[in-house]
Amino acid sequence: MYRQTFLGLFWAFLPPIANTAVWIFLRQQGVFDTGEMAVNATLYILTGMILWQSFSDALQMPLKILNQNKSMISKLRFSREALIMLGLGEVFFDLAIRMLLLIPAFIWFGVSPSWAMLLAPLTIILMVLWAAGIGLLLMPIGSLYQDIGRFLQLAVPFWMIITPIIYVAPETFPGNLLVWLNPASPLLLFSRDLILVGGSSVLTPAILLGLMAVPMFMFGLAVFRISIPVLVERMST
Amino acid sequence: MIHSATSDDDEFVLEVDHVWKIYCRNLKRAMRYGVQDLGREVFGKGRERNPSDLRPGEFCAVKDAHFQVRSGECVGMLGPNGAGKSSMLKLINGLIKPDSGSITIRGSVGAMIELGTGFNPVLSGRENVYINGSILGISKAEIDAKFDQVVEFAELGHVIDSPIMTYSTGMKMRLGFSIGANLRPKLLLIDEVLAVGDVGFRMKCFAHLRKLVEEGVCIILVTHAVAMLNRVATRSVVFDRGAIVHDGDLETGCVVYEETMGASDRVGNKAESKAQASATGVSITAVEVYDDHGDTNKEFETGQDVVVKVEISSQPNAQELNLVAALWSPVHGRIASMSSASQNVVFGVTGESKVTVTLKFKKIPLLLGAYHFNLSLYGPVSTDFHHRVTGVGHFRIVGPPTCSLGRGIDGIVKLSHQWKID
Repeated sequence: MYRQTFLGLFWAFLPPIANTAVWIFLRQQGVFDTGEMAVNATLYILTGMILWQSFSDALQMPLKILNQNKSMISKLRFSREALIMLGLGEVFFDLAIRMLLLIPAFIWFGVSPSWAMLLAPLTIILMVLWAAGIGLLLMPIGSLYQDIGRFLQLAVPFWMIITPIIYVAPETFPGNLLVWLNPASPLLLFSRDLILVGGSSVLTPAILLGLMAVPMFMFGLAVFRISIPVLVERMST
Repeated sequence: MIHSATSDDDEFVLEVDHVWKIYCRNLKRAMRYGVQDLGREVFGKGRERNPSDLRPGEFCAVKDAHFQVRSGECVGMLGPNGAGKSSMLKLINGLIKPDSGSITIRGSVGAMIELGTGFNPVLSGRENVYINGSILGISKAEIDAKFDQVVEFAELGHVIDSPIMTYSTGMKMRLGFSIGANLRPKLLLIDEVLAVGDVGFRMKCFAHLRKLVEEGVCIILVTHAVAMLNRVATRSVVFDRGAIVHDGDLETGCVVYEETMGASDRVGNKAESKAQASATGVSITAVEVYDDHGDTNKEFETGQDVVVKVEISSQPNAQELNLVAALWSPVHGRIASMSSASQNVVFGVTGESKVTVTLKFKKIPLLLGAYHFNLSLYGPVSTDFHHRVTGVGHFRIVGPPTCSLGRGIDGIVKLSHQWKID
């Protein structure tokens, strides 16, 4: 993945660090109000950014994988699900690398991890599968109409803003709609709460979405499988 | 519908049963139809369609294709560009699905379509052998066992640990062929990949394919290099505008293929012949080909007599006419040209009557192929043009077989010759 780069794994670390740095700077300048955070703001935003990056990677992964491997898909017969597994592997690899950033951050800010943190890998996996499931459903149309890819490029940064990553999730109506109506919020916020504080206020939506994550991914995979021959007919390589 | 079946008797390895494939050339419509088809598939309505019920902008890329291939057969799939060969290969390989009809395959399928697809340029040749092998469904243990064989066949032992991006195109193709060739599927599909490397390597590939056929692997070979086909193929299937126009012996298949290559010329030339009709009223009205028994015929063997009769009519009187005949092959172009005047045959046509001019080729020396004539009528002087018709008097030479393996005669004409040792 990073073989043909000079900086190598640094490229995996860069997006969350850069994003966190910008938002912390803006917060310190008093540009916006983030609400009362349970832990140090840098740690709070950094964890959110790492998780968001994985959500965004998983969401865009199916279309990216399809576009990168068009020539292989249209010429070779092999298990195409392997490409999705490879894509998921890359998302998890990047996530694991980025998570390493949290170790020095925990030590620096003197936060001691809780036992609940051990549950976080499960909720993070569900979050990635949920995002990949959405991505898989968008992929067939996205392959035919480039509008989807362009829309995602435009929508993802905006989507990040309406997900409570750089600010605390509002608990009252209508602010709480940012959690209830935003498919990115529940599992992401729940995972962050597990990592940083041990408990969470978004338990109900997180459980609902968590239960739907695996079926959603499997449904996405089935649609992906069915759609490939239809897409290969219309692929220019 | 594509079925996989298992059987150990000598049944067909591949059965293509009345398969149709519909495409759309209009980009926007193709996208829209794609969404419709996706919807139908996802909601379980299947994709079986009535081929006569085409949506606007659609056409049939494969029309009612029907053929079978048995174990140990090597079929050359021929046809001009856009005839439907590659679509057929993709259908057999399961990359796309038929819109009507079914394909049954008994055993595993391997394909060599565009060699080197799936190679990662920054990884070494060694790593790519493993990756490409696993993409094609070979286990690591199998690749371990065959690795040396693959590298030796590709003759790339000295560079196998260098990144693929440092390889030449030929080297990449050699490695791709070598990986594919070491597979042992029941059915091997090969698309236009026999231009691999230099002549020596090409011959090695042919020898390898012949060995596979002897071992019972059945091969479908798509190529435009007809001359190379008889090194390995035993049968031919010729496609023209989506439909199979020949399924049978290789020699006839090659001839039919040449004809299909010329078909587009003929269509174009009809308009041309009208455009070049002269206002003098003298014209070529009919052209027929006969054998030496006086029967109309279109198929001959090398060395038989071929007789061409050209009917010429004229409104006013015309004198001292000269007929020029050019013999053409759709593949090789103009082969010979001859004028009646060169043998002092000049003729006249009296008003509203007809004259038949006979052109006889005794013991025609042409070899396997499709041929036709372009005829022009001049006179009394060579600038007095009357009429021209192209793509007429079609005939085929269908035997005896030629041999491109260097053990017989080959080419366009059989020259009278003699070998001796002094």
